[in-house]
Amino acid sequence: MFQNGWLKRLAPLLICLVLLVTSCASAPSKYDQVQKDTTGFRAPAAVAKKAEKGGTFNQFFPGDQGEYNVIPYQEKKGFAEYKLQKGDKTLAMLTINDTTSLPTAAAKYNDATEKVVGYPSVDQGTTATGILVNGRYQVKVLSRDPSFTKEDRVSWLQKFDLKGLAQLKGAPVAATASPKAASAPKAVTQPLTPAPNSATAPTTTKPAPKVGFKLPRLELPNLSPTLQPAS
Amino acid sequence: MSKKIYEIVDHLPTGGLTIRALKTLDVFIPGQWNNLVGFDNTIKTVTGETDEAMVQTIGERAIALFNDKRQGYQSALWLYETVDSASGLLGAAALANRIGQDTFLGFLKNLTPKPEKAQTIDLVVKLVTEVVAFCKISGIPGDSLGDFLAALGDYSNESLMRMTALVSFDGIIPLGADFSTRALNMIKGMGPSDLDNNPTFKGVRDEIPGDDSGGKLAFMTESFESTKGWMDNLVADKGITQSGLIENLGGFIEGSKSKLDYLGAFLDVSVKYYEHTGIQTLARRLVERAVAEI
Repeated sequence: MFQNGWLKRLAPLLICLVLLVTSCASAPSKYDQVQKDTTGFRAPAAVAKKAEKGGTFNQFFPGDQGEYNVIPYQEKKGFAEYKLQKGDKTLAMLTINDTTSLPTAAAKYNDATEKVVGYPSVDQGTTATGILVNGRYQVKVLSRDPSFTKEDRVSWLQKFDLKGLAQLKGAPVAATASPKAASAPKAVTQPLTPAPNSATAPTTTKPAPKVGFKLPRLELPNLSPTLQPAS
Repeated sequence: MSKKIYEIVDHLPTGGLTIRALKTLDVFIPGQWNNLVGFDNTIKTVTGETDEAMVQTIGERAIALFNDKRQGYQSALWLYETVDSASGLLGAAALANRIGQDTFLGFLKNLTPKPEKAQTIDLVVKLVTEVVAFCKISGIPGDSLGDFLAALGDYSNESLMRMTALVSFDGIIPLGADFSTRALNMIKGMGPSDLDNNPTFKGVRDEIPGDDSGGKLAFMTESFESTKGWMDNLVADKGITQSGLIENLGGFIEGSKSKLDYLGAFLDVSVKYYEHTGIQTLARRLVERAVAEI
């Protein structure tokens, strides 16, 4: 009787204790492996040192066209992104990235069966169409509205200054680049004038090259190496 | 151990005081903010992709980008978290516990309204934090105000909500309808020592451009002056008024209408809107970049 009473009183406490202990350990996640692989002292950088500056890509984006506005959105090392808007509605995102940082992104074009203006083209998921220029620079159009179809994406891919982008001579990186290739000597970029012979490309309209919105750039000095968030 | 961005986004709350307070602002910017939470859910909503393998690939790239410290995402997160916690006076948890058990007036005696000077510094520091953090996330040079202003004109979703909340909760409620003019006049009359004693400033001072407190004060003043017109336009365009804000907040904060001084202080300690919407902005931009790069 006495013992039974104690057990009855103890049971809820024990259950609470068990719940407390188990809730302290976070549930396993399908992202735990990548978290492990990308943290710690030996973790590889997500963006290669030799990746092109994002600002370099600005000039290859199409400009505003009629009722379509092309608005700067992000510019990070090896990556630039613009929003394509009609009125207040975002129809698509336009991007260029340097696949030096992520060779698998370039490798998927090895199996491409389609081409856009002579460049291998691949559909990803249901909203993205990309091409690979020079085996290195990935140009993508990503739908953000159901009305913006694959045909629209292909059409807008052709509005980039692809010939100009193809003249960009970065470090030679093969589609299946090895880490060695990523650490190739620093690229010498050619003068980035828009290609005058780009009329050979079957683009319907030749937009003025994007001037870019971030000139002049003032680089912020690295304030202090100790300012990383507490881990 | 490094912070896990997927857990941070997964753990964003769907209820509580922060969410309720932000929802009272829906009326001013209808349809802009839908409290997007959950890492995979953010990926699916932002990209429109539902295929699990694709979602996984996007998520993995986003995590890799976040974990690379040189990309600036971690210090942006730190800024959004720190500016919120540094501006609070009391622990939010202690305060939240009293709500529901007690009347609003019951815990007011534990709060002291902030002096106008401290409130002004809070407002300006938060604005500058936005300049620096948003620039880190988007890749705009952090001391290029012109580029920030251009981006501000295109603010939407949770970023626009954050700015609306800044103007409302840290501007109009504590300082009144002419908050921007009052704050600008006040900050122009301040010296570096005024900043050095302010906990909100101290929390994030190392990330504010400028060699010393004087230089940082100059950058803060310039930032506020440059964005004043945008803030005034937002208030005018959206019809944000002190009475309208108080009316809406009064719906869930009992007795707040007659205690305006304290309402500002209460919002300060219990509403972490910078951190909440900052994480949402960070997650959105990460996902946008990841889906493009893969």
